Amino acid sequence: MQWAIVIAAFLAASVEFVEAFTLVLVAGITVNWRSSIVGALAAVATLAVIIATLGVALVTLIPIGVLRFVIGFLLLLFGLKWLKNAIQRYSGLKFLHDEEAIYAANLAQARARGEAVGTRLDPFGVLLSYKSVLLEGLEVAFIVISFGSGGSSGIGMAAIGAAAAGVLVILVGALVRSPLQRIPENTLKFIVGIMLTTFGTFWSGESFGINWPFSDLFLLMLAALYLVVSVLLITAMKQRKPRVASATMASEAPMPSQEKEVRI
Amino acid sequence: MNVILKVILAVYNFFVGDLVILIGVTLTMVILALINSVGALAPLRGGSGLILIVGVLATLVATLGREVMRSENKQKA
Repeated sequence: MQWAIVIAAFLAASVEFVEAFTLVLVAGITVNWRSSIVGALAAVATLAVIIATLGVALVTLIPIGVLRFVIGFLLLLFGLKWLKNAIQRYSGLKFLHDEEAIYAANLAQARARGEAVGTRLDPFGVLLSYKSVLLEGLEVAFIVISFGSGGSSGIGMAAIGAAAAGVLVILVGALVRSPLQRIPENTLKFIVGIMLTTFGTFWSGESFGINWPFSDLFLLMLAALYLVVSVLLITAMKQRKPRVASATMASEAPMPSQEKEVRI
Repeated sequence: MNVILKVILAVYNFFVGDLVILIGVTLTMVILALINSVGALAPLRGGSGLILIVGVLATLVATLGREVMRSENKQKA
């Protein structure tokens, strides 16, 4: 189970850090690298504090049975949200996340401010970088805390996975110095959605006293089941209305910034 | 908008952002809690795992079905 936690945290963090990196890049190019890096580091520090305090407090103060129920419930909500979005994107009901378009839109927006690029700390650059890393990182923080709370000694493993993803994205980003378009974001989101839903089902089930057959091995079977059903759903949605995709895509523009979907 | 309402909406959007998912998962949990606590429903306890998995899958199908319907309605309009 420990490796599954590392992989889930690594994949989820990769997706989120790639999205955050795009805006850190915008801040670095349009304002200056000093402001961009300071903002990003401040956000990472904030996230570390959140994980350290909230994570440890949850694990030590709340009984494991209650914790597993709450974390399982939240993981199910979170996992189904990711899975639903990934399935919608695969089936053409929703646009694929386009880092290049987001990068271009934000670059134009930042350049429209019309201020010269200097070397001193610029509040706009710091805030843009801080906000993007913090917002994207919050989801990673939640996943790390969830795994730490739900499984034995999982918080360290999840943190290792997330940190490895962060280092990898920064290294690749520093080499390429452009939006990381080739990262298969939707595939990663799809896999993470399945993993979160699987862990959510497993832990919330355990909180109700369910003894899963084959113990931890059942996680793999559950993941396989969710994968098969998801693939079937994608196929069915593609076949049901091929026209839906084009109609929806024509009426929806890709999100220009980090705006999250508000849907009730 | 009220600040408290904004905070609630932000938390809702962070965790789920979809009412069908929220209702589906909550309903599944309530059913499991009832099976676990009501004596008359004790014979169903052996099938709790299956009920949970079916509940999760039904929620996924329902929310995606809603999106397909929404797209079709948008296309008609």
